[in-house]
Amino acid sequence: MADRVVECAGVGRTYDDDTVPVHALRDVDFALEAGEWVSLAGPSGSGKSTLLHVIGGLDQPNAGTVVVDGVDVIQLSEAQLSDLRLRRIGFVFQSYNLIPVLSALENVEFIMQLQGVAGAERRQRALETLDSLGLAELADRRPGEMSGGQQQRVAIARAIVTNPVLLLADEPSANLDTATTQELLDLLQKLNRERGVTILTATHDPMVMSYATRQVNLRDGSIVPGVES
Amino acid sequence: MPFKLLFQLSWRNLWRHKRRNGILLSAIGVAVAGVVLLNSLLRGMQMDMKNTVIDNLTGHVKVLQPGYLDDPSIERGFEVAKDWQLNLTPDMVEGWAARVRVPAVVMSERETRGIQLVGVDPARETISFLGDVAIEGEGLSGAADRRVIVGAGLAEQLETTVGRRLVLVTQGADGRNREAGCRIAGIYRAEVAGLEKAFVFTGAETLQDMLDTLMVTEVSVRVKDDRFEDSVMETLLDVFAGLDVMSWQKLEPQAAMMVEFSDSAIYIYFLVIMGALVFGLVNTLVTAVMERIRELGLLRALGMRPRSVVAQVVVESCLIMLVGVVAGLLIAAGVFSLIADGIDLTAFDDSLATFGLRPNFVPVLQAGDVILVAALSLALGALASFYPALRAVKLNVLDAMRR
Repeated sequence: MADRVVECAGVGRTYDDDTVPVHALRDVDFALEAGEWVSLAGPSGSGKSTLLHVIGGLDQPNAGTVVVDGVDVIQLSEAQLSDLRLRRIGFVFQSYNLIPVLSALENVEFIMQLQGVAGAERRQRALETLDSLGLAELADRRPGEMSGGQQQRVAIARAIVTNPVLLLADEPSANLDTATTQELLDLLQKLNRERGVTILTATHDPMVMSYATRQVNLRDGSIVPGVES
Repeated sequence: MPFKLLFQLSWRNLWRHKRRNGILLSAIGVAVAGVVLLNSLLRGMQMDMKNTVIDNLTGHVKVLQPGYLDDPSIERGFEVAKDWQLNLTPDMVEGWAARVRVPAVVMSERETRGIQLVGVDPARETISFLGDVAIEGEGLSGAADRRVIVGAGLAEQLETTVGRRLVLVTQGADGRNREAGCRIAGIYRAEVAGLEKAFVFTGAETLQDMLDTLMVTEVSVRVKDDRFEDSVMETLLDVFAGLDVMSWQKLEPQAAMMVEFSDSAIYIYFLVIMGALVFGLVNTLVTAVMERIRELGLLRALGMRPRSVVAQVVVESCLIMLVGVVAGLLIAAGVFSLIADGIDLTAFDDSLATFGLRPNFVPVLQAGDVILVAALSLALGALASFYPALRAVKLNVLDAMRR
């Protein structure tokens, strides 16, 4: 059996922002094995993005435990959570993925700079990653000079360049047309199959779901039993 | 987090919003230039006040008989040997002069006035205003010159001119009145008009003869730099045991207080102007940070620690301040080069004289003041950026990214 990358048990997340508490997650049990591509599916407000954020250390649950690569995320301080995200998790967000003042190459180098990787090695790895994803010609372009699809692909390059144990993608196709979405999903599939990158996506795009090796459905903050595929 | 990355992000962000940062940099530049130039004017005023006092026969340090200031007569004089030399290194002392100074009455054919009659050795008076004063006619030729020079203001009051005779009446060493007739060798024009009416100069030996004494009433010493003042005073205390050795601050307490006050005024002006600027800076930085809150949220989501985000905003603010300060200093240097030779204020001559200021007002730019303005500006810039930086990291990462 493959290593377990993510293990959530009894996870609950309630927002008290309004007068009526909003239960974004209710008693969620979820596990993700190394090398899997799991797609969290469900309608808006079902809790899929919240679960993704809780696993990524971007949000703190009110109940339960979340273990990522053997680390109990709930026990970590803000600085330790930053380190977890920096060293073990790669992120691809729905939009606004890249740092506007840095070129594609510099964006890919950014995480390694934070990690303290030496300049020459950093540049080489970034160039190799961009090249392996067919993005070498974008290296010197800044985000404003790239299309949405190109920006998402550069974001993927940045997310995988440090070989994280987990790649989290929140609605990665939200702002893309069908052709660009397909290119992006082909790329993720290639990474999942050839490099064994573990991927967790949150989406309501059927095309994204069709690429995943497993689908987990959520409704009203709970995993819908028996609907996993 | 590597400083190079912080600097890289900050530098590029600086050029990202050209118009807004241009306006901000202009505001900082103008404020810094304003403070530096205002400092130079205040410092010039301060130096002018001080130099006027020192030039005005005071010097940096003066030796007097105790009680002379309350009763300035020849009876409160002291002897200084003719061949006496001040045994101090020339690196410290610009010069010294022994003088005889007594109150006297001067009479022309038409008018009578009370004045200070000062016997001097003209060769030694390079340390006072007498050294570079403009003289119509001739100056005194030496300590034995029996003629007088009078100020233009006094000559006008006495309705007299060069070559005419004046009668001087004063009290001799024996307490009896002495009277002497002297020809006017020259009429001097001082930068501070009040001096012209106060002092009549003659040779020191001439005045000693008239008073029937070998005594002088003061030894005035001018140092090359303020920092030598204390050691010169110590030496003079040893040499002139039993006499008062007084600094110019003691002799002219009002002027010293004004000089000290102008020191405080410089810092107060600085704090007021920079304080106003800091409010503007905080406001602009808050706007700039809030505009980029999603970007800062992204940096945190990718693993940048909150303290690094704070550092990034602070470095960015310091960089803006640094560029603004450099621009301000360049503006200040440009404007200063135009006014460095002095500002002609002869139209306000009478008002300036009240404050002991000269009509040609020369601003003074001191390296210490420039460094202080630059350093404090950067410190205030860093301080001003903490609030927006802390606001940036106080927000939850997801909330920041949703903005």
